Amino acid sequence: MSFYLVQILNALSFSMLLMLTGLGLSVVLSLLNFVNLTHGSSFLLGAYVSIWWLGSGAPWWLAFPVAFLASALAGLVLERFPFRQFYTRTHLMQVLLTYGLSVIFADLMRWGFGAQIASPELPEILSGVIFVFDMPFPIYRLFIIVFGAVLALALWFVIDRTIWGAVVRACVTDRRFVETLGLDTKRIFTIVVAVAAGLGGLSGALGAGVLSAYPGLDEEQLILALIVVVVGGLGTFRGTVLSALLLGFTMTFTKVWIPEMSNVAALAIMALMLVIAPQGLVARKVRQV
Amino acid sequence: MSDTVKLQDAANGRAPAPSRQILALGVIAVLAALLPLVASDYQLRFVAEILIVGAAVLSLDLLVGYGGLVSLGHATLFGGAAYAAAVASRSLGADLTLMVGIGTLTGMVMAFITGIVVMRTIALFFLILTLIVGQIFWEIAFHWRDVTGGADGMRGLPTLSLNLGVTKLDLSSSFALYVTAAVLAFAAWAVARSFVNAPIGRALIGTRERQLRMSALGYDIARIRMMALLASGAIAGAAGSLYPFVNQYIGPNSMQWTFSAMMVVMLVIGGVGSLYGAFIGTAVYLGIQTYISSYTDRWQLVVGLIFVLTVMIMPRGIVHGVGSLFGGKGKQ
Amino acid sequence: MTMKDAITRRRLIAAGGATAFAGMLGAPLIAKAANGSLRIGMVTSLSGPFAGLGEAMRDGIVMALEEYGNEIAGRRIELIVEDDQAKPDEGVRKFRKLIGQDNVDIVSGVISSAVALAVRDVVTEAEALTFISAGSANALARDAASPLVFRPTKTNWMLGHTAGLWAAEKISKTGCLTIGADYAAGREYIGDFVETYTAQGGAVGQQLWAPLGTTDFGPLLTAIASVQPEFIYSFFAGSDAVRFLRQMKDYRLHEKVKVLGGGALFDQEDVIATVKDAALGGLNTCNQSPTAPASQAFSAAYLARRGVLPGEMGTAGYVTAQVIKAALERVGGDVAAKDQLKENLLALPVDTVFGPMSFDPRNNQAILDIYVNEITESADGPVNQVIHTYQGVQDPGPTA
Repeated sequence: MSFYLVQILNALSFSMLLMLTGLGLSVVLSLLNFVNLTHGSSFLLGAYVSIWWLGSGAPWWLAFPVAFLASALAGLVLERFPFRQFYTRTHLMQVLLTYGLSVIFADLMRWGFGAQIASPELPEILSGVIFVFDMPFPIYRLFIIVFGAVLALALWFVIDRTIWGAVVRACVTDRRFVETLGLDTKRIFTIVVAVAAGLGGLSGALGAGVLSAYPGLDEEQLILALIVVVVGGLGTFRGTVLSALLLGFTMTFTKVWIPEMSNVAALAIMALMLVIAPQGLVARKVRQV
Repeated sequence: MSDTVKLQDAANGRAPAPSRQILALGVIAVLAALLPLVASDYQLRFVAEILIVGAAVLSLDLLVGYGGLVSLGHATLFGGAAYAAAVASRSLGADLTLMVGIGTLTGMVMAFITGIVVMRTIALFFLILTLIVGQIFWEIAFHWRDVTGGADGMRGLPTLSLNLGVTKLDLSSSFALYVTAAVLAFAAWAVARSFVNAPIGRALIGTRERQLRMSALGYDIARIRMMALLASGAIAGAAGSLYPFVNQYIGPNSMQWTFSAMMVVMLVIGGVGSLYGAFIGTAVYLGIQTYISSYTDRWQLVVGLIFVLTVMIMPRGIVHGVGSLFGGKGKQ
Repeated sequence: MTMKDAITRRRLIAAGGATAFAGMLGAPLIAKAANGSLRIGMVTSLSGPFAGLGEAMRDGIVMALEEYGNEIAGRRIELIVEDDQAKPDEGVRKFRKLIGQDNVDIVSGVISSAVALAVRDVVTEAEALTFISAGSANALARDAASPLVFRPTKTNWMLGHTAGLWAAEKISKTGCLTIGADYAAGREYIGDFVETYTAQGGAVGQQLWAPLGTTDFGPLLTAIASVQPEFIYSFFAGSDAVRFLRQMKDYRLHEKVKVLGGGALFDQEDVIATVKDAALGGLNTCNQSPTAPASQAFSAAYLARRGVLPGEMGTAGYVTAQVIKAALERVGGDVAAKDQLKENLLALPVDTVFGPMSFDPRNNQAILDIYVNEITESADGPVNQVIHTYQGVQDPGPTA
């Protein structure tokens, strides 16, 4: 009983990490129709920055905003050049451009942060365990679950329920029309890309406590995030959340029941989803020509 | 007629003027024949590897360049065929025709399985689904230790030979391997070219450009795409069947998605939709990886920069980019 | 964490190397190493999952060669280091380049077992003097052994076997659970451990396998918490090892369950320097220990150079140079006399920082002292402390 309760918590915390990583990718895809494969780099940058911050002795809770800012800043620069030139290009060209950039960033980070594996020193308050009956569960993972849920809700609220969100969504539907209202759409796009990259950094900072950081983590996370976002339905908010939960739970429970086949089983289930729903779990309406 | 226009025609699947093409083929044939005179054993084997991997990249061009289908699972077809050939060679011996036959068949069967699964998806969904299907195949190869050797791969394979009835020709030398690879590369190019010039190839371009209109015209889009996948799988499989015999070794890396991604990078560097650009892209990529990495740990940075610059400045690859430098600006 | 500066590149490439690119399609470089200098090629992983290990290995061999004044047996040494990305195909390409184009006299290195197995036929065919620094698949000491391939390192069996002995004798014959990375090396370590442990009268309980590159060990750790074994035998390496140990600590299992592992699980430089106190109390069997008597001076020098105590790979790079030095000195630097070199190298043990090393004439596999290390607190942080030494452990070799 307590065994399965803790396994559900395990699955939830892992899903939250997947969701957080996927959200940044999903935001840019849904709002700008832009595929940003440097998202894994944002994740790793955030992870390294937070590890460095936590090791420096400064107040620990600032590590997360700092990681957010660092990655957001990188995103800001990238948006100006070269992303902006590629908004109107095909997905394929966007994939190629950003994949190439992610290769460059991977090597730059390897250069700057070294090839050694790095792990954060978590603050006392986050490094304990709670007991579910007799089974231990780390407080840090609870923190991830709560943090992830709050962040997802906040994001949904901003995009779906505020005037800012409405403006951004309007930009996607008809950019010229928004411009006639006197709004600077270029700036709006810049902000969206920067925030999304920041989200990547933030999830990296959170994830580092579980995953550590090392060259190659960027690619691993990118692939997971891509699977989550695409199976969810290319950047629909609900789709990303649903798909992250699905992947998180299957990866956790296949490890419990059939550890040797867990990867195959998880992959097969995600493939099955795409076979059943070729447009993703929650499909957007797309006009075809 | 400028070079640029010619290349663009090629990208659209139309054959360039035959006389120039024959000339180009002649030049390449002469160069290929002269190479063994100047290159060392090591270099010949390296070129053979480029030709084999290049043939697989060329088969990917059928999907990407003509069908608009970007696959991240193409290495599975190549590596799967390589494993099939390697496993068969252990009990049946490594006869060239047998190996190529097994490889081609395996490539087609795996392409068919992949095709059934990915049939209804396009664009990013296609990309991710091919990635997932490819990784499932990879997981199988990685865990089927009794047959594939798992993470350690298979070594100690018999050397490649060609049974001529009366005598058996040993193909293990670098020179023989180079000749074999060159023949394979040419055959792959010829098959792919006749495919894209045939009505099915034209229809494939149609599905890329105007999917809805094509189905309105009565074309069976799923069938056209499956044909392209099968042709692509056959070529990738034939190329893959030779791969274990370059080094007498085959490992799970040759099926992993990173290898697929590398093939896409090679294709883009060389030039999407030109077929022969695949070989140029492969040569550039493997050349950089093998030679630049001797001088700097930052070779990935170099590859990344070249790749990004290619995408930004010469989105249609080195072949086209260099061509337009000399032949004036082409139409976009 | 350790945020080191990028290591200074110390690649000593022969003059004229710059023509290599032109030589790719042009005339081959036939120029033999000039005036008696001797070329050593090393292939290691400088990118990919083993990049950190590869950098350490490179630094190890460079460190030794610098101590020798870049001269062995009166001959100047040129070292050429190549990156295999931990991929067999790439490794083979680099070995062929070193042998076929750079005309090296000796090839060495390799971290990944898969790469070591892949290059085996290539170096055998070329009759190249080969020293495999770390790739430790059992097969290389058995059916894949080769006359000129020397392995101055352990086999997986040597570590799994000694762990089995130690566990049965000193830990417990019951309450054992194994958990390992589900790939070739993990299967060998765990398999060899279980074989010896059960032969010694131990009984193995549950056996768990985690996919290579597992990010979240949570589900498995919860399973371990519910079984509550007395001790676990485990094999993980690199980032898997770091995550496993850290998450063990996250779930407060490191206080309750004794962890015995293969050397890589508690590698001094790669793992312990990162996980720090999460490793405390852990046990491992390894052919290397920074606290072994043979390693004392080297450990101090390495600490001064890289700011961290040596792990297996840094040490392996250094040992490779030591063994090459011994081999060359025993033939007066005449590297062409391969058979003589082999005979002389096999005749007498070599003193290395691993410990005394002799070679098995059947398969050129090193016979080594295997240390049982316990991770204890020290002035330099948690450290692998030798608590027992199994002397002269020999792989069963071709008969196994």
